[in-house]
Amino acid sequence: MSEDRLRVLSVVVEDGPGALSKVSGLIRRRGFHVRAISVGPSREPGLFRMTLTVDSGHAEVDQVRKQLERLVEVVEVEDLTGHDVHSRELVVARVAAADLSDLIERGAKVLHSSPTGTTVEFAGDGGEVGDFVEELRRHGVQDVARSGPVVMRRSA
Amino acid sequence: MTGADMVLEALEREGVELIFGYPGGANLPIYQHLPDHPKLRHILVRHEQGAAHMADGYARACGKPGVVFATSGPGALNLVTGLATAYMDSVPMIAITGQVASTQVGRDAFQETDVIGATSSVTKHSYLVTNINQLPRVIHEAFHIATTGRPGPVLIDICKDVQQADAPHVLPARLEIPGYKLNGHVNLEHAKAAAIALAEAERPVVLAGHGVLLSHAEAELREFAEKAAAPVGTTLLGIGSFPVNHPLSLHMTGFMGTGWNLKAVQNADVLMMVGMRVDDRVTAKLAGFAPNVKTFIHIDIDGSEMGKNVRPQIELVADAKQALRAMIPHLSEPEKSRGTWLAQIDAWREEHPLKYTHSNGHLQPQDVLIDMYKRCRNEAIVVADVGQNQIWAALWWNYDRPGLFLNSGGSGTMGFALPAAIGAKFARPELDVWCVAGEGGFVMTAQELSVAVEHQLDVKIVLLNNFSLGMVRQFQDDFYGGVRSQVDLTHMPDFVKLADAYGMPAVRVDKFADIGPAMDAAERTKGPFLIDFRIDPEANVYPIVPLGKTLNDFWEAPDQ
Repeated sequence: MSEDRLRVLSVVVEDGPGALSKVSGLIRRRGFHVRAISVGPSREPGLFRMTLTVDSGHAEVDQVRKQLERLVEVVEVEDLTGHDVHSRELVVARVAAADLSDLIERGAKVLHSSPTGTTVEFAGDGGEVGDFVEELRRHGVQDVARSGPVVMRRSA
Repeated sequence: MTGADMVLEALEREGVELIFGYPGGANLPIYQHLPDHPKLRHILVRHEQGAAHMADGYARACGKPGVVFATSGPGALNLVTGLATAYMDSVPMIAITGQVASTQVGRDAFQETDVIGATSSVTKHSYLVTNINQLPRVIHEAFHIATTGRPGPVLIDICKDVQQADAPHVLPARLEIPGYKLNGHVNLEHAKAAAIALAEAERPVVLAGHGVLLSHAEAELREFAEKAAAPVGTTLLGIGSFPVNHPLSLHMTGFMGTGWNLKAVQNADVLMMVGMRVDDRVTAKLAGFAPNVKTFIHIDIDGSEMGKNVRPQIELVADAKQALRAMIPHLSEPEKSRGTWLAQIDAWREEHPLKYTHSNGHLQPQDVLIDMYKRCRNEAIVVADVGQNQIWAALWWNYDRPGLFLNSGGSGTMGFALPAAIGAKFARPELDVWCVAGEGGFVMTAQELSVAVEHQLDVKIVLLNNFSLGMVRQFQDDFYGGVRSQVDLTHMPDFVKLADAYGMPAVRVDKFADIGPAMDAAERTKGPFLIDFRIDPEANVYPIVPLGKTLNDFWEAPDQ
């Protein structure tokens, strides 16, 4: 996969049972591939925001946005690729190690401790989260759950 | 008011006159209330696919959306091919399917299928209605979406309990579809630049697609072409958007297009593509498509078509009519060298005429079509099926106006012609309707003969019977090592007896001299008529571009 085929898109969709499947179905049938996704309610009632990282496959990269715009459920698509953005990902992990000072120093927060292990969370950009996940290996990581990025432009 | 009545009343309000459908368990409440709405005429088909193609043919012939009813599960699934056919060719259609009760959804109830899931890739939009209060809004929206912008089929899947529920009928005050921006994407900023590029070109070519017909821009296209002295070819679906007899006509383009068209496209320096998708059937090998073009101009109402296959230097996102109107005032006197270019095209037209073999003793399909054309001129609708019959019917008639040649261009759906011709006849009863089909496609939907007979529709069926899947056979001969595999249709019904069994007259023709008398009989007969033309089993479609080759590499019919 080539990096220049990746598009980061912020997609506002109508809240409804079909929206997610229509979006994901379109991405599949046009030969694109979802690398990461996060979905949650938007500021406006009835609208959800999806942040998608999509590999455009063999298509021209702007096809991803254009094809999404054709869906009636899709209210707005913003292509954030290459823009100056805040991009944040969340990782939650359970580790066996007792000494967590390295992780805490990086900014991890302890969610829960028990005699068998500790659950921590960490948020950062993709690189920071990647480094954090690497670091977890040295702490006897038992389980990791990682979100897709949530992205917003730095200035409106 | 019951949900069923809301549906039927909404159809009346939208001006629907005809519904093609088939009842079953999950849409019975709608059928129960149908007799209470006598303005709605329902045509009972023999298979749901027939209903979808009839609605499609109806819509293509008169421009109004075709309406289809089907029940859940198999009923709805039988529509899928018809929806895909309409979707590929941007035909407005409304499919209303029954679904199991909302409380049963997801429980694998009897005749339950996820119809939204099965059809979302072949519809412009779709709705699952689980609450009666959604109904009036949804139906109103569906018609709006199906018929505006780039048209297409919209499916409404209505749970059976919603059809039976009772609620006050509240009409939506106005449409609010935040994700459907009709004019939001229009961009005519470069109209002037496009007009100048074309006027200043040495070797311009204009290609016109279905979008020209859908936006009724034939007059604008002609004015544009004449003012710019630019030759115009059409796609298969664009046939009728520019008169074939016009001196600037290049006839049909694409991998079975005319030689002079392909020569012009391959030598053009500016290529303007209007209302078309520029698919692989138009470009042949993409890397070698129009290699001398410096400026591609692409006009389409759907912005996602820009650069999907060919990256244009100038793009206009708009309705073809709107775009051509915006360009025409900026056209200046065409370049002086234009005469040389048009003379060159005339020379290519002389050098690469359409031709066919007619000296081997067999009946040739072109003989049949030429006779038909002499009779009908441009006063009849021709609905073609898919395969050799389709290309022959496209090339051997000189269509000079819109709406007279209907076919499944994008989807290439065999079995389209008969039901679509029936739909077209319902839409335009004043015109003769001719169905041109091969025997392979014809038997895929032949059960709809019942509908033609029941309603005594003047649909004349021209069967070009070559005892094989002709186009497949031709491809196998030329591009797949000459291995004829599973293409012989040796066990087919006697079509004259088949027609008789359905209650309609038919004749068989196997020699040239009998074409005229058979056509006379067809024209004299009220109601449907079938002619089984036993044509040369080795007849081929020419020109043709070998698979994987560029438009330059077209083959012509062998000399006699």
